[in-house]
Amino acid sequence: MAKERRYLPLRSTRYLGRTMQRYYLLTRYQRLWGRPLKRPLAWVTSGAPVEILRALRIDPVYPENYGAICGARRVAPELCRAAEAAGYSPDLCSYARAGIGAILRPDLAPMGGLPRPDLLVTCNNICGTVLKWYEALARRFNVPLFILDTPFVTGELKQHTVDYVLEQLRGLVGGLERLTGRRLKPADLQKCISLSNEAVRLWGEIRNLCRHRPSPLNTPDLFVHMAPIVVLRGTAGAVAYYRRLYDEVKERVRAGQAAVAGERYRLLWDNIAIWYQLFRFYHLFSERGACFVTDTYTGGWAAGLAPGDPLESLARTYTAIFLNRSVDFRVRQMVDLIRDYEVDGFVMHSNRSCKPYSLVQEEIRRRVMNETGVPGLLVEADMTDARVYAEEPVRNRVQAFLETLEMTV
Amino acid sequence: MAYYLGVDIGSLTTKVALIDQGGMLLARAVRRSGYHGRETALQLVDELLREKGLMAGQIAGTVATGYGRVTFPADREVSEISCQARGMVHLFPGARTVIDIGGQDSKAIRVLPGGRVADFAMNDKCAAGTGRFLEVMAQALEVTVAELGALAAGAKGRCPISSVCTVFAESEVISHLAQDTPREDIVAGVCAAVASRVTSLAGRVGPEPEVAFTGGVARNRGVVHALETELGRPLLVPADPEVTAALGAALVARSLTGGS
Repeated sequence: MAKERRYLPLRSTRYLGRTMQRYYLLTRYQRLWGRPLKRPLAWVTSGAPVEILRALRIDPVYPENYGAICGARRVAPELCRAAEAAGYSPDLCSYARAGIGAILRPDLAPMGGLPRPDLLVTCNNICGTVLKWYEALARRFNVPLFILDTPFVTGELKQHTVDYVLEQLRGLVGGLERLTGRRLKPADLQKCISLSNEAVRLWGEIRNLCRHRPSPLNTPDLFVHMAPIVVLRGTAGAVAYYRRLYDEVKERVRAGQAAVAGERYRLLWDNIAIWYQLFRFYHLFSERGACFVTDTYTGGWAAGLAPGDPLESLARTYTAIFLNRSVDFRVRQMVDLIRDYEVDGFVMHSNRSCKPYSLVQEEIRRRVMNETGVPGLLVEADMTDARVYAEEPVRNRVQAFLETLEMTV
Repeated sequence: MAYYLGVDIGSLTTKVALIDQGGMLLARAVRRSGYHGRETALQLVDELLREKGLMAGQIAGTVATGYGRVTFPADREVSEISCQARGMVHLFPGARTVIDIGGQDSKAIRVLPGGRVADFAMNDKCAAGTGRFLEVMAQALEVTVAELGALAAGAKGRCPISSVCTVFAESEVISHLAQDTPREDIVAGVCAAVASRVTSLAGRVGPEPEVAFTGGVARNRGVVHALETELGRPLLVPADPEVTAALGAALVARSLTGGS
């Protein structure tokens, strides 16, 4: 197969590097500059209502994003092993294992691990693992743990569910106010929500630009460039970053530039990235002219916050995220993406780590194929634990899948 | 007259099929892949051509498939899923589902008329329920793989064997032997374990009749019987199940060179 470069790099990647370096540098030394300013440091899950924290001048750190870094730097297996040796099950999420391993073995951990937290905030809208994971962290660090329980949404989001979550958010605000000794100012919260909304809107528009033929981005681009929308949510920094990225992607569309040269097939990706194989794995597709034009995962950060009372808006937004929704919802989501992005086939990563994302995939695959007639492939791997990844069987399946596309498209 | 070659370098065995312009299978050969699958394949091709009195120049196209496909100097390499579908529909035009159990993997393929692949599912990284699984069990039972079918036919009962892991299943077999369970009943249990594993795989592609069964394990009458029982329908089994993917590869080679 052709050795030539078929993959167009983004100029914004340099700016991304600077943005993330700055974030992690500030995070690393937060204990030095944050304490005099009475800014506590919180470890939070990716689906935590960070706007409340930011409005109270609490600095958030994302162990899941750190887990992705451990994966991309290929140190996750060693960190997982350290956690397993301490008694954590190999069946546990590899972000959790890598995160716990990084605490046990800072010598192996990127950046020497994350700085010690003053508090923990976890929300079970993404999975149930984060409850036990954060309970273990709370015991280890002996710091307060705030839990937000968002019931699973089987059909439409009900008002009683919103009320239940809203009541907890009020409790969370009270708890954080006591901890920081500050009052939550509605104007500060509104400002954070507006900044979140603006970044989310830009991220959504960047994703939308990939409806063009050829697509200006391949999904690994989205995986790489999603970092600020996760860790800088609710800040001006995120907005500035995505304005710049939007301009570059828009420019590509105007120039008719393709992320994958000679785009032949347009694909949809489902689940978290395979971080340790990010480019090698997607190369199996791009070398045959297949571009992932959209995905379900990075779309999780493109949902705008509902208007209205800020706390109720947060209650609605954080309860309604796609991983907390029914199979029907997820089927509909994929069917819509297939239609809107003119997708020829879809690939699902059955991610050993992420149970809520992966367990229902076979059923979703069947229903989406029936409804759209578009073929779907299931690939078994893990987002960070490379020990689970077997390249040859994966290559074999990918080739067979692309052969079926060659004959049907 | 133009001829076409299909070369299937699998994890356990290497298969070569030679067809003519009309798609007729003229000759075939099977040998253990060994350390050098590529050398084995080249040797087999050489022997086959000599046997048929053909010159290399008379071969109009060659397609390689199987795990060693990238190593072989063919006109093109094609996945064994596509090749198996093509070969089986050539033999059984009414087949809509193809189950293939090879040395290290098992697959279920839903095929369209003409042999195109509509959907497929494969076992995950674990080789439980494949040819290798049967080899390990045969070894534990001190019989050859070829004897398994006849032994299963003589079973009075069927002792349960888990199909989750080859190593664990082997220790189950050993503990059954220690309890003096009749060997036949253990073999029947082993065959049922393979059948149950591949049936759930077939369920993923929604098995439509007719269902055809191929791959080296299709030679095993015990597995064929267990699979027919699980699926509740008779299976189409080719006379020469090892070479159907190689045959499919040869047919693909013929299509690629415009030979129909």
